[in-house]
Amino acid sequence: MRRFGRQCRGQGKVFVKLVRQTETQLLEVGSTIAHLAHAAQQSLHQATALSDHKRQRLANDLLVATQAHQQISKQSRRLTQGQRLSHCKIVNAYDPTIAPIIKGKSNCPTQFGRKPGILSEPTAGFIFAARSPLGNPSDASYVLPLLDKVEQAIQRLSGPKRPSIQSLAGDLGVNDPGLRQALHERGILSVGIPKTSEPINPQPSPEEILAVLNAAGLNRMRTPYQVQLACACGYSRPVVESHIACLLCRGAGQIRYKGPQGAVVQLGMTVMTHNAAALVRIRHKRLSKRAQKLRRFLGLRHRNVNQINDPKN
Amino acid sequence: MRLIRHLQHWLGGSGPRLRVADIVPKTHSIRQWADTFPWTEMVEAIEQSVARRFPKRSPCGRRPVPTRVLLALELLKHEVGAADEAICERLRTDVAVMYACGLEEVQLDNPQAHFVWPETLAQFRSRLDEELIDELLAIQAAAAMDEGLVSPAHLLVDTFPAEQGSQRVSDASTLYNAQKKSSSSSRSSRRNAPRKRRR
Repeated sequence: MRRFGRQCRGQGKVFVKLVRQTETQLLEVGSTIAHLAHAAQQSLHQATALSDHKRQRLANDLLVATQAHQQISKQSRRLTQGQRLSHCKIVNAYDPTIAPIIKGKSNCPTQFGRKPGILSEPTAGFIFAARSPLGNPSDASYVLPLLDKVEQAIQRLSGPKRPSIQSLAGDLGVNDPGLRQALHERGILSVGIPKTSEPINPQPSPEEILAVLNAAGLNRMRTPYQVQLACACGYSRPVVESHIACLLCRGAGQIRYKGPQGAVVQLGMTVMTHNAAALVRIRHKRLSKRAQKLRRFLGLRHRNVNQINDPKN
Repeated sequence: MRLIRHLQHWLGGSGPRLRVADIVPKTHSIRQWADTFPWTEMVEAIEQSVARRFPKRSPCGRRPVPTRVLLALELLKHEVGAADEAICERLRTDVAVMYACGLEEVQLDNPQAHFVWPETLAQFRSRLDEELIDELLAIQAAAAMDEGLVSPAHLLVDTFPAEQGSQRVSDASTLYNAQKKSSSSSRSSRRNAPRKRRR
């Protein structure tokens, strides 16, 4: 897993003295900002040559810049040796929406940056929805917005028989009773989300299947066969890692565009290119044995592109 | 109107014309990749969104670069891992990139060094927002589902960390580099220090 930022957990030390020295100089430089901003605001009001729209935009930019400085200067006086980084603390002066990713390994540097979430299908790795939220919310909070995006995509289908989401799998981070309840209300099986660190049984017995259906209250909505498939498609770290690795090799691990909007654009474009590559693999049958088997079980048809492109008759 | 008409002020010139689709083989990776996108719906979605958020104040001015070209360049940038400048240069010389951008014909003796400037691509990117990106992704997913290639029946959810703004130096990265430097220097000083004799 990628990590970056400063060492603030485990054996690492924070050089408070170094930070204090830098901080004093920076605060001295920035002390005049309030006066300059005030003067700029006054001269902006007097500038009659500018249009109202432009004046409003400049005034907003000025206000945002002033507020960012206040937030940074307030936070910089709070750094104390040995204290944990608080949630949504500013770690980049250019972009206050970047937050430390708190959950992670206990003996490695804290990760800074963004934490995009993806919702993919387990056969070819086609990503149905992606989200790059502000700050660092919990993993469980990603699920419902991502599912809403998939529902929007399903609504776009024009045919009489629209597909539905039958099950959702995730790691222990999304093991939340409230989320499970919300999924069951939508008719989605949550058997793919583990409750303990034990792996999910991929071949449940008929009694276990019945227990799953009863616990979810989806006896009439979901069939035992769908539960079997949901268990087979349960959370698998290697499968998810392969989808993430495909995104990382397309540059999703390092967001180069500016700000939260840039992160959204870059992630979206990367996901769309990844999806196109996944579709090419599906069309040309370049899939793993597991993926081919799952697609057969899901009843996904397999077109022979050569026959369609060059019909013999 | 065909795309070539929009791009006439770049592609003007005399001499023979090159039919792009005849040059790029059907097995070419970029051609196969480009053929998976539902371009018409995606371009329509972008144009509607941009027209709503950035209404045109005057009908004057030159025709804009087609959205199809800019969208394809932006997507190709992530596919081939190229920078803005590099992908815009490739559009001038690489026929497969021209095919992905939807250009049907090009003039062989064109004097222009660039078809699209990198700045134009950056401006296009700045007009994309989260709602539009979600819509584009939904269009792509709907097209794939409609074709029967993918199914949303069983889904996996996960998150991954992504570094942002590493090109700019932040306080956190300065501190991290200082730590690394100090730890490496202390290690080297230990190595270089004369060994004490055991008594």
